[in-house]
Amino acid sequence: MLYSLTEGFKGLRRAKFSAFVAISTIFLSLILIGVFIIFILNAQRLVNRIQSRMELELFIDNSYTMERIEELKKSIFTITGIDSVRYVSKDEAVEIFKQQFGQDIFEILDENPLPSSFQVKLKPTFRSAVYAKKISEQLNQLEGVDEVYYRQDLLIILEKYIQLFVGVIFVIGLLLAAGSIFLVSNTIKLIIFSRSTIIEIMKLVGATRRFIRRPFLVEGIIQGFIGGSLAALFFYLILKIIKLEIPGLILINQKNYPLLIILGILFGLIGSLLALRKFLKY
Amino acid sequence: MIQLSNILAKYPGGEGLELVNLTVGPGEFVYLVGPSGAGKSSVLKVICLDIFPQSGHVIVNGYNSLTIKKKRIPYLRRKLGIIFQDFKLLPDRNVFDNVAFALQVTGTGRHDIKRKVLRFLAEVGLSHKRNKMSYQLSGGEQQRVAIARALVNEPIVLLADEPTGNLDPESAEDIMQLLEKINAKGTAILMATHDYRLVRHPRRKIVRIEKGKTL
Repeated sequence: MLYSLTEGFKGLRRAKFSAFVAISTIFLSLILIGVFIIFILNAQRLVNRIQSRMELELFIDNSYTMERIEELKKSIFTITGIDSVRYVSKDEAVEIFKQQFGQDIFEILDENPLPSSFQVKLKPTFRSAVYAKKISEQLNQLEGVDEVYYRQDLLIILEKYIQLFVGVIFVIGLLLAAGSIFLVSNTIKLIIFSRSTIIEIMKLVGATRRFIRRPFLVEGIIQGFIGGSLAALFFYLILKIIKLEIPGLILINQKNYPLLIILGILFGLIGSLLALRKFLKY
Repeated sequence: MIQLSNILAKYPGGEGLELVNLTVGPGEFVYLVGPSGAGKSSVLKVICLDIFPQSGHVIVNGYNSLTIKKKRIPYLRRKLGIIFQDFKLLPDRNVFDNVAFALQVTGTGRHDIKRKVLRFLAEVGLSHKRNKMSYQLSGGEQQRVAIARALVNEPIVLLADEPTGNLDPESAEDIMQLLEKINAKGTAILMATHDYRLVRHPRRKIVRIEKGKTL
């Protein structure tokens, strides 16, 4: 084991240029993946924000007294998936009308025709078209409810795009990871090829497959560690600057920096394993 | 000790071995003679199981190519020492480390490595150059280092693939004498060469090979 470790480190020193290429490849791959993750996190937040704004509007029978309205509120909460309920009085409705249409309703009509209502927000896991439809039907059946309104079309479109988005993201992520490993593996293959003599001699003097592989795996791990650490450092510095420019942006959490390093190590290790497979059949 | 029976080992291009039969007994010195491209190196590779025969079988010190598990191949190779025309030394290590390398890869302890390396460097007459880098040595000296490396695991047979091919006549003679000395101490030798002049003892076993067939 000590031999593998020292040989792994010596290998890096012996083939400085190849090591530099391998480390750079891992570094660039991880940056690409990091940028991709930042993009996903921000897109995810945007979707969540749109979904959190989604609410059902429940119009109350005009003849209902405050007492009965309170009872209605209680019965709304008996339905599963309700997060919060906000009462909008007839007077508030006039104000909202004024804000939205820029005109006082009393200028057009003598009396206030707007009904009082409840703005019902759903729990995060219930913010889908299917649940919204189900809950709106349940709400409709409650006594004193005139009408339930929500943007069903918007929800359906949003969900359709989320599905497409998740699919595309998944494919791109997979391609990125496979591409990175392929690049790393090819670079390490070049390193191994440049040391085919030493491998040949090792084989001929009776080194086991495991013994021959180990220094290269150690080398791959070291390269991955350095590449991953550099990528973490890069994000730390760059994001510090960007954070000042765009305050609302979600960036890589500091807790995720070790993950970048682990990912780098994995790339180096898998790359080495794939490269060695070709050279060391037995 | 080494037995090759009806070996067929073709490369994808169609070249290789077609029908090879050969035995090397304990302590024997066997010449494998034939023109370039006849398949001499392939025979040595088959013995090391670097190439697996498509038909026929190889037996080396009890290991049979038909039944050996791939994991055991390194252990078979530890019973063989091999030297080449181009020496195949590691240019980034000195003489001592080149020989020690063969012991390191088999997991020998540090103390034993030192003792054995010095013993075999003395045997090939290179103790005084143990700290030189391999590229600072002459061709003959480099081949001696390769021989020390091949012997340091105390193999039952030394496989020599054109060992004098890159050497001037004087150094070639030295190497041949060294191989004779090693053989006299009991190590069997199988030497592949295209140079019939090197076959100095007509009474020794000579196996001729042409176009992948032993004659």
